[in-house]
Amino acid sequence: MHTSQRRLPGEITFMLLIVAFSCFMLWASYNISRFDALASAGAFPMLCAGTMLVTGLMSLRQSLLGKLQLENGETAFAQFVRKLAPLTLVLFTLLIVAYMLLLEVLGFILSSYLFLLLSMQVLGSRRLLVNLAASAVVLASIYIIFQTAFSVVLPPGSLIGPYLPEFLK
Amino acid sequence: MMETVGYFFMSWLDWQMLLLTALGTFAGIYIGAIPGLSVTMAVSILISFTFKWDVNHALALISGIYLGGVYGGSRSAILLNIPGAPAAIATGLDGYPMAKRGEAGQAIGLTTVISVYGGFVGILALAVAAPLVSDLALMFGPRDYLLLAIWGILLVGSLSGGSLAKGIFSGALGALIACVGLDPMTGENRLTFGSMQLSAGISYIAAMIGFFGVAEVIAQIHELHLKAVRQKVDKIIPSWGLVRKYLPLATRTSSIGVVVGALPGAGGDIAALMAYDHAKRTVKNPSRPFGEGAHEGLVAPESANNAAVGGAYVPMLTLGIPGDAVTAVIIGALYIHGLKPGPMLMAETPHLFWFIVGSLALANLFLLVFGLTGIKIFAKIVETPKPILLPLILVLSAVGAYAINNNPVDVYWMLGFGLLGYFLKMYGFQVGPVILGMILGPIMDRSYRQAMLSTGSDPGLFLSEFVTSPLSLILLLCVAFTLFSQTAWWQRLRGRQPS
Repeated sequence: MHTSQRRLPGEITFMLLIVAFSCFMLWASYNISRFDALASAGAFPMLCAGTMLVTGLMSLRQSLLGKLQLENGETAFAQFVRKLAPLTLVLFTLLIVAYMLLLEVLGFILSSYLFLLLSMQVLGSRRLLVNLAASAVVLASIYIIFQTAFSVVLPPGSLIGPYLPEFLK
Repeated sequence: MMETVGYFFMSWLDWQMLLLTALGTFAGIYIGAIPGLSVTMAVSILISFTFKWDVNHALALISGIYLGGVYGGSRSAILLNIPGAPAAIATGLDGYPMAKRGEAGQAIGLTTVISVYGGFVGILALAVAAPLVSDLALMFGPRDYLLLAIWGILLVGSLSGGSLAKGIFSGALGALIACVGLDPMTGENRLTFGSMQLSAGISYIAAMIGFFGVAEVIAQIHELHLKAVRQKVDKIIPSWGLVRKYLPLATRTSSIGVVVGALPGAGGDIAALMAYDHAKRTVKNPSRPFGEGAHEGLVAPESANNAAVGGAYVPMLTLGIPGDAVTAVIIGALYIHGLKPGPMLMAETPHLFWFIVGSLALANLFLLVFGLTGIKIFAKIVETPKPILLPLILVLSAVGAYAINNNPVDVYWMLGFGLLGYFLKMYGFQVGPVILGMILGPIMDRSYRQAMLSTGSDPGLFLSEFVTSPLSLILLLCVAFTLFSQTAWWQRLRGRQPS
């Protein structure tokens, strides 16, 4: 089997989580129809969850064999932040979460515009006027294409939807 | 015969389909070329918009995007030294050195013509092989489908270079996700935890967009600093003499592409790398040393990755087993349109098969036209800064997920799968097998239970039939070899042999 020599920060925690998840899913799969029959509704989910548990444990073993290489007295958490969760990534992900949650409340147009504008800033496009214009052009194109060509009904938003002009609904 | 010809030319003669194929190919070239956008991502998002369309229109568009996208990656590899797609990694090895010598135009021209040639070899192989494989597939029983699906997941997990254990974990996770909801055989709730939302199952389109769209966008944040280096472009159309000189090599590497593409689990990226390796080993006097701008280093991977498209359609249409992540997504599209890829597809809807072959051939012709034109504008567009590109993909992903059922829950699933996909990728798991597992899970579940019931739930008989049926035995050996080839023992054995 392939054995990684280096280990990423947080890797063992992640592997433990997937092993725990696999155990839980095996238990949940067992509860579907227990060991009633070999061709029961729960048999295949149990096979899948069992496979996940075995391969999850093998992956955990691989991770345990790897070595975490910390540079210049850096802590594992600091390396995790640097390699897997740098500030830009965390901020961008939080913006995505906020965008998804606000989509139904503020509606597609307003929430998408805010998301595009803020995320462009966060990702390093600092020219505000360019961002304002690019967000507007991109959004208008998406809106026109998807409302007309693909007949996609985009969420009008519970907060401002009732006040939107008819052509934007 | 005349009917077949009629179906083949259907998309050529209907102006709407002609336009959609052209649009798909054009868009595919840009999608494939822009680092950060992938064909899988584009097709995943597109499916959610086109499922209300007529199936032929949707397939015409998807065929164009697939072929254009596989080719498009080469352009940014040559011009910017950033492969737009994994299938173009090998192309950049010699393409970019050519561009640095001021031969970017020649490199793009040769790549385009050879890609189109490879594409036609793949389409020809599809037209010839698929009916034969389909006839063979009619002999497959539930046990064989179970083995074939397992083999497909194992191949995706092992051939892409990662850990086999992680590949299998991903495949099993996908198959388990596919079990959520009502059991199609007994109507029992499975893994729903009392939730009405979960009873309807988890949309694999939302999962696809999450894994290939959101996760990819988040992962791209690590590459925000990459700067493109653009080259000047002139003299694009290659001379016939130059093309003719490389046709024998292109024929060999296209054949590699077809075979690798047809293997369940292996796609254009592996085909391209294998073809490049073949060229390196067999071409004695390349135009320049490999890695320094050899024409052969462009011809081999580009003919192979486009030929792999036709190859990948063979198992997809005849067995219902996707060749790679893109075909897994396309299978999803076929299911959404009420079609069941597999041996019966060829028997019940032969028109659809010949329509797909015709659409691919048409898209390949459009590839020649769009591939040799508009390169200067292209160079500007593919340089779209990532701070603008990434949020745009996110908005498109959200629209795509929402459009499936006009339900925000699908958007939340997409986000959840996106975050999971990011961490899976970071810790060395591949997300391709998850989607493959989601697509193949129901087939495996049904096949396993049918095979078990056919033996009267006798585990001894069930297992013995894997070795008493010749077809099952061959497939079992394939599965066993794939597993065995990942063991340390086998790796050591190969390590001792001269390469």
